[in-house]
Amino acid sequence: MNETAAASTSAVDDADGGAALVGEGVRRSYGDVVALDGVDLRVEAGEVFGLIGPNGAGKTTLVRALTGTTDAEGDLRVFGAPPRAVDPQRVGLLPQSFDPPERLTARELVDYYGGLYDEARDTESVLRDVGMAGDADAWYETLSGGQQRRTCVATAIVNDPDLLFLDEPTTGIDPAGRRSIHRLIERLADGGTTVFLTSHAMDEVERLADRVALLRDGAVVAVGPPEELIAEHGGAPRLDVTLDGPASGDTAARVGDRLASGDAVESSRDGLRIRGVRPEAIGDAVDALDAAGVAFESLAWSEPSLEDVYLRLTGEEYSPREDAIPTAAAEGGDRDAAVSDGGDRDAAVSDGGDR
Amino acid sequence: MTRVGRIRTEATAAARSFLRRRTAVFFTFFFPVILVVIFGALVRTQPTGGGLFAEPAGYYIPGYLAVVVLFTPLSRVGSEIARHRDGGRFEKLATTPLSRVEWLLAHTLVNVAIIGAASLLIFALVLAVTDAEPVVSPALAVLPVFVAVGVALFCGLGAVLGALTDSQDGVIAASNTVALPLLFLSETFVSPDLLPAWFRPAVAASPLTYFARGTRAVVYEPGPWVGDLAVLSVLAVAFLALGAYAVPRTD
Repeated sequence: MNETAAASTSAVDDADGGAALVGEGVRRSYGDVVALDGVDLRVEAGEVFGLIGPNGAGKTTLVRALTGTTDAEGDLRVFGAPPRAVDPQRVGLLPQSFDPPERLTARELVDYYGGLYDEARDTESVLRDVGMAGDADAWYETLSGGQQRRTCVATAIVNDPDLLFLDEPTTGIDPAGRRSIHRLIERLADGGTTVFLTSHAMDEVERLADRVALLRDGAVVAVGPPEELIAEHGGAPRLDVTLDGPASGDTAARVGDRLASGDAVESSRDGLRIRGVRPEAIGDAVDALDAAGVAFESLAWSEPSLEDVYLRLTGEEYSPREDAIPTAAAEGGDRDAAVSDGGDRDAAVSDGGDR
Repeated sequence: MTRVGRIRTEATAAARSFLRRRTAVFFTFFFPVILVVIFGALVRTQPTGGGLFAEPAGYYIPGYLAVVVLFTPLSRVGSEIARHRDGGRFEKLATTPLSRVEWLLAHTLVNVAIIGAASLLIFALVLAVTDAEPVVSPALAVLPVFVAVGVALFCGLGAVLGALTDSQDGVIAASNTVALPLLFLSETFVSPDLLPAWFRPAVAASPLTYFARGTRAVVYEPGPWVGDLAVLSVLAVAFLALGAYAVPRTD
């Protein structure tokens, strides 16, 4: 709970050149476990800032440090002030693990949290924003997981904050509910709210965030706009070929030999993966498959995504070479190349048929 | 929102949350009822006139009231803190204007109301099932004050226990461990002459003793009660302050 009778910190907003959040050398340990190991970050006012990283990377600890709910070493400033000195009216928080008081309806919960602030938004408009207006009189316990999470989001925006921390806001929410939360975040951002978003849904972060930081082992290993991170770390576009039957040992090599472009061909779980294929070169790849006598069921072309960046920088990427299928690429290809299931940039090209 | 407004908001939510948990409400009131029925109506005094429950029924009115004044706030506030901590509620509240003092005051008010109602029930039940004859005097009006101050005191202690223990199970075990000796060694059900002489000074160390002495002076044996109320009040402020400090703010 807030212990500082905080006056408005607007007077110190400019102390960090308009930044909403600044962290320098942020450290936090729990016994021998280092949760944050010298994090440096800066979030500009009005920005949607995404924080991604594996479980245990320190994301929630960083949110807690920035909201003053855990003690951390280093220099942390929110609107130019220490986190615990910030006017609570300006900050909204949805904790990752949050279970509000029992036996209250969604409407009562929003009323309750709104009642703790000097000024709060109209409860009905908040409920409408999160798509809960129709179920607002049901007790929280009786709501579905997605409705519960949306209600929790409502409690985080009821004070109309300038800075909103959302720690995995769409966990457990179905696609329609996620979209409603996405639209809400976009509206808040359009209105000037700074959003600090953590999520395991890469497509969500890629869609919403102006900039993204990737946290690994308590340190920021990459930060920048999603498109820059993808360009730098995402690898090349790829064409995934689902074969019509099992691949023989030299299938990848035979296809690779017939590709004039010299694109790398490697075996994947379902068939082949050709890296570096531009959309206009898909026809050449199909010709190479035909020439090599390789029958396939379908082709799927995809651009690299934030998920590829995540997998590559966290070292969690799937490697087909570990499936013990000999490939041409395994002998001379890019051993660090990321292979993933693809994001929403994936595009099915054709079913190929039996060629 | 003013401090009073925040406390009212927190207290309203806490009261709704409790009153809608039917089993919690039922057992909060049923627990002292069965105690009164067992010890007030079923247990008989020994033929020799000695031992437990040898005093007139009115002597034990403070004891019956002490059951709810002591046990209920300890377990309720302690459990509430455990639930808040497990549910990430303190993390959320830390970013609101509600302070720890305000949170504890709000929950204390809810407990005062609930335990006030339970005390009224106990008082009526004692009169109905025992031959207790309370002294009716203007001082009787102070009885609710004793109950309220006693509840506040043990809400503070409950907050400390809730902060020290790491689970709801731990809170229940800790509150029973603290409450049981206090209940029987505070001039409630066991009169001081049943205790060894060397132990009697220790009775004065129990906060519940001042509740028992004061309420007994009000309802059974007319006598001075202001000193007991003063001690109880000072202890209540101290325990509330300690409890508010102990309420978790961070992880």
